[in-house]
Amino acid sequence: MIKTEKTLHLKSCRGRTVRVVREHYLRERVPCCSSLCQADCDHDGKVLPGDLTHYMVPDAAVVVDFLEILEFRELQGVVFTQTACQALQSKGRRYYNRLRSLVKDPRHDCVLFANEFQEYSYCPREKGESQDKWMTRCVYSAAVWYYNHLAGMMNIVMITEDQEAVAQYSSLNSGVFVISIQDYLQNFWPELQAAHELYSSISQVLQEQEGEDSQKEFAEHLPAEVLEAGIKSGRYIQGTLNVSKHRVQNEAFITTEGLSTKNTDMSSDVLVFGGKHRNRAVHGDVVVVELLPKSEWRGRTTSLTQGQGDEKNEDDESSAMPTGRVVGILQRNWRDYVVTFPTRDGTQNQSRNSQRILAIPWDRRIPKIRISTQQAEALQDHRVVVRMDSWESTSLYPNGHSVRVLGRAGELETEVQTILIENCIHVPPFSDAQLREMPLNSPEKPWKVDPVQVRRRRDLRATHLVFSIDPHGCEDVDDTLSVRRLGDGTLLELGVHIADVTHFVPEGSLTDLEARTRATTYYLADRRYDMLPAVLSSDLCSLLGGVDSVMWELDAQTLAVNKVWFGRTLIRSSYQLHYELAQALLNGEPAHVPELAQVASEDKDAKLAELTHALEMLTHIARHLRAQRDRGGALELEGVEVRAQLDEDRNITALVPRQPLEVHETVAECMIYANHWVARKIQESFPSQALLRRHPPPRQELFSQLVETAKAQGFSVDTRTNKALADSLDQAVDLQDPLVNRLLRMMATQAMSQAMYFSTGAQPQDQYYHYGLALDRYTHFTSPIRRYADIIVHRLLIAAIAMDTGAEPKAPGSNKEVEETAHHINSKNRAAQRAQNLSMALFQCLYFKEKDPQTDPRCVADAVIYAVRDNGVLVFIPEYGVKGPVYLRNKEGQVVSVGPDGGCDWQSGSVRRHHDRISTESASGSATFRLFDHITVTDQEPASRRPGGHSGGGRGQLVQEVVQEAVRLVQEAQQREARPRLSKEEREFSQSRTPNLYSLLEEVRELA
Amino acid sequence: MAGLELLSDQGYRLDGRKATELRKVQARMGVFAQADGSAYLEQGNTKALAVVYGPHEMRGSRSRTLHDRALINCQYSMATFSTAERKRRPHGDRKSTEMSLHLKQTFEAAVMTQLYPRSQIDIYVKVNAEFMVCACSLGKGLITRFLFLFIKTFSLFFPQILQSDGGNYSTCVNAATLAVIDAGIPMRDYVCACTVGFVDETPLADLCYAEESGGVSSLALALLPRGGQIALLQMDARLHQDHLETLIEAAMTACKGVSKVLDEVVRQHLQEVSVLTGE
Repeated sequence: MIKTEKTLHLKSCRGRTVRVVREHYLRERVPCCSSLCQADCDHDGKVLPGDLTHYMVPDAAVVVDFLEILEFRELQGVVFTQTACQALQSKGRRYYNRLRSLVKDPRHDCVLFANEFQEYSYCPREKGESQDKWMTRCVYSAAVWYYNHLAGMMNIVMITEDQEAVAQYSSLNSGVFVISIQDYLQNFWPELQAAHELYSSISQVLQEQEGEDSQKEFAEHLPAEVLEAGIKSGRYIQGTLNVSKHRVQNEAFITTEGLSTKNTDMSSDVLVFGGKHRNRAVHGDVVVVELLPKSEWRGRTTSLTQGQGDEKNEDDESSAMPTGRVVGILQRNWRDYVVTFPTRDGTQNQSRNSQRILAIPWDRRIPKIRISTQQAEALQDHRVVVRMDSWESTSLYPNGHSVRVLGRAGELETEVQTILIENCIHVPPFSDAQLREMPLNSPEKPWKVDPVQVRRRRDLRATHLVFSIDPHGCEDVDDTLSVRRLGDGTLLELGVHIADVTHFVPEGSLTDLEARTRATTYYLADRRYDMLPAVLSSDLCSLLGGVDSVMWELDAQTLAVNKVWFGRTLIRSSYQLHYELAQALLNGEPAHVPELAQVASEDKDAKLAELTHALEMLTHIARHLRAQRDRGGALELEGVEVRAQLDEDRNITALVPRQPLEVHETVAECMIYANHWVARKIQESFPSQALLRRHPPPRQELFSQLVETAKAQGFSVDTRTNKALADSLDQAVDLQDPLVNRLLRMMATQAMSQAMYFSTGAQPQDQYYHYGLALDRYTHFTSPIRRYADIIVHRLLIAAIAMDTGAEPKAPGSNKEVEETAHHINSKNRAAQRAQNLSMALFQCLYFKEKDPQTDPRCVADAVIYAVRDNGVLVFIPEYGVKGPVYLRNKEGQVVSVGPDGGCDWQSGSVRRHHDRISTESASGSATFRLFDHITVTDQEPASRRPGGHSGGGRGQLVQEVVQEAVRLVQEAQQREARPRLSKEEREFSQSRTPNLYSLLEEVRELA
Repeated sequence: MAGLELLSDQGYRLDGRKATELRKVQARMGVFAQADGSAYLEQGNTKALAVVYGPHEMRGSRSRTLHDRALINCQYSMATFSTAERKRRPHGDRKSTEMSLHLKQTFEAAVMTQLYPRSQIDIYVKVNAEFMVCACSLGKGLITRFLFLFIKTFSLFFPQILQSDGGNYSTCVNAATLAVIDAGIPMRDYVCACTVGFVDETPLADLCYAEESGGVSSLALALLPRGGQIALLQMDARLHQDHLETLIEAAMTACKGVSKVLDEVVRQHLQEVSVLTGE
């Protein structure tokens, strides 16, 4: 069978050295994964092409330190050795997983060779040989084996950083070259500039690391075993570190993962106060904290911050909450960060070496990153992507290296790229190989339905009136509807037809893999990044050809479901309507249907009537479905949605809040219904590996703000069940002010937990419930063009249909795979959501930037107070859908006082906060601001600042923050009863009044 | 702590085996002259010595006598030097007692005890480790004498695990089977045992110590391979019900592999013996 060898390992365990004997089996046949292979190795999976000039075998040390360079897709024919792999594993799980996904990714041309299990390439470690030397020798012997195995048809280049190895091995074998990375890059990839830069940046970092001074800035982290034992015994608490957005320097919270809390009184988060206690943890890391004694507990700060200066006064605190300090980090969640370099003017030369620079991350929650670069001057105003490498206990800041330059700050393109990178969204253009998989569809050669498919599918082209309703100007139309009366009219047939994307995207194809990584289409304010190539998303799948359908036969009277049919069909969409048009048709208003423009007028009337009738039937059904769900307790929630209208040059012309129409709901209702039935179907067929979507009930304590706010207004809100919540929200209507209800609904939305995808095998059945929609099972089926989850559901549904016809039950993936995919999609969805919001904020910011707050009437708006803080209030401006803080006390301690005419000015006085109101007292009288009071505010975008383009005050500025601070305004309280719209007053925007060198310099520069 | 990757993406295990491959099995029968039957078996680095006495009259308390069949008495012990850290007691602790009980149950199912009413069969197994590495290097002829010496000095004539590198139970069963055959006691079939673990939805056959301690849910199965009857099935880890069947299937295949090896050993032994006796 196999030859047996034994190896001896020296292994130390708990400090003691123990000699362990391990078996080690070698075999002759280990797949080489090359297409040049002469020995018929059985390769499954990736194979290196034979048409390269050489294969490259990196040394273990190279893989450990320079993995990022090897990640360039341009480098082809990389053979990773098992030895290198194991060396990487000892560096950390995260790196190893990166290598694994690299090897698995078919877009990268690299393979893994199990050299230590190959009889001839394995070399046992000799006595007294150092680990590094041994690994280099192993890798070299693997390289030689490759050369011989491929019968000398391919040259092998081994790259190593070990100069001795270069000298020792380079002349031993003719076809195997041993060179250093630098030589390799220069000789083989002279044009790959990015790799060269990355190399110099990483090697610089490595050099720096050697010469660290050893003054301790932080306590050492505890070893992993101690942490694990501590967590088990309940001494330590494990959780994710969340840095407070408003108090970056001091406040961070540990969100525990619910399950691991044995002591149930620890229901609230743990506060980590100050940089020392945070102990090098970065936002997003999984950390272990130890609680401090009760006497050192503190509360969270409740007053609004105005820039950094405020962080010193610590008197405004809520009651003490558990406070702890970080004792260890279980998992770093470092990603790529976008930074700007500080202005170079001598203020920052604490570091001995002038080439080391503290770069300021875009995300304020990330500490400054120290990087070494020579290009600091040149990249002054640019945004740069950096990665963190390490954070030693001797250093105040983490070390990193730069990866690439995005562009000049403040430019639209750079800012949009920044948003993408900060959210870990990677959307390269589709590669040629992916596009080659796509069907052809050109004007000369239009794509036709395959006749084989025509026979296999149910043809609805002649019998059904199919139409789509989408937003105006929408390109990726993937869902259509049909409705008709059957036979004698007692039955209705409702059909939801969804583009059959899976027909074009077979599982495992390159397009499929790309779509899986993207997981969703990213909609930004001015553009979108498609999940699938354009030929599919806006062309073929948009309702030509085949579709997957769900059709229900409904009883015309009671609308009870008689029969459901799932299957593949062919349709032809007769009308492509948009919402406004459909609503106009329903209302009986004259409307222009583009598809009927050419038709003679008599015909036209008949067709119009037919269409209108169908729409009416649809609305009727949808109302019924809605009512049905309402009885179950479905929630109607409110989000703020504003659309930016852009002109050709991508300038914003206006911000338009979305207008809800009934037809929106009609379409949504049909889609929800389809999703629900598909969910039931696939869950029945695949009880443990169907992909569903669940919406867990929110945590009750999150509702406290909503309940209290509503109480201030005299409403009681019952949050125990979704039904109770929906009912009480319906009742909480202030007749004089519709905004009250909208605000309450918005607060309820904020309290909600996120809906997420999951695999049915991973959750108990009672967790399948969708809280918001009040459905026991739900999934996403209706938008396969823009959501990857829908593609999986389509595959599941097709497999389920095949099972019904007697085929072997064959699920597209195991429970574990589905669950992994679900996690991936969930995180990508969140990223997409954040990116969308940020880009929206960016455009809002641009919009206000051009307006002069003093003169432009558009900057003055009505706002509603929705929360009270110690020194100000938070307001919502319905017109723009923006929230922002309003300060009632400025830096000098002056407070707003309201003149008799409603005007405001600053006077010395005091602010007092009450439960539901805040009042200011000054010489000229007092003013009280209550919840839900309307005030007038000025949006202010300071003229001296480019959006997000600066790095004022030594900290990175979020675009978002600019918007919100821009909106900060001061205004006049108007008692709602009186409602005098009164004058406004602005407070000068400034981050801090304390003399701040940066802001001064920046102002000087502006003047110049 | 980053756990070890028990099964790599390429399908290799820690020691270079594939998922279904067994460790190398080597065995010798008739290592002691004094005992009625004896065998020494290595499964990878786990080494076990089994000795059988009987059937003979009941010893000790006569009250345990069974009137319709023979009593099987098993004792399992581990050499104090069989693990990386020296064990304090070779036998008599709870683990060994449990293991003895399991062995007893296994062999009650396999040995045709009804042929020997009112009598007793003793099976002793011992597991060992490094010692044998030294012993092996001394040469084959020496092994037996050396072992004999060692056993005399250190403990009683017990079947023992001499070195433990995972799969103690299965190694003991396999060694004891050979010893029982050597003693000429009729059995229904070979009893072959093997452990299997479940990692990444894949069953791994014949776990080694690193795998056993790596948090794998493992299952031990003793099988009468020809009839496919299960003599003993033991699992004390969590496993989803759906996977149990595949796991048992894998265990049975592995056991059948073991039985082939044992069969070969027995045949070879018989050949040697018959040459010696001149038949």
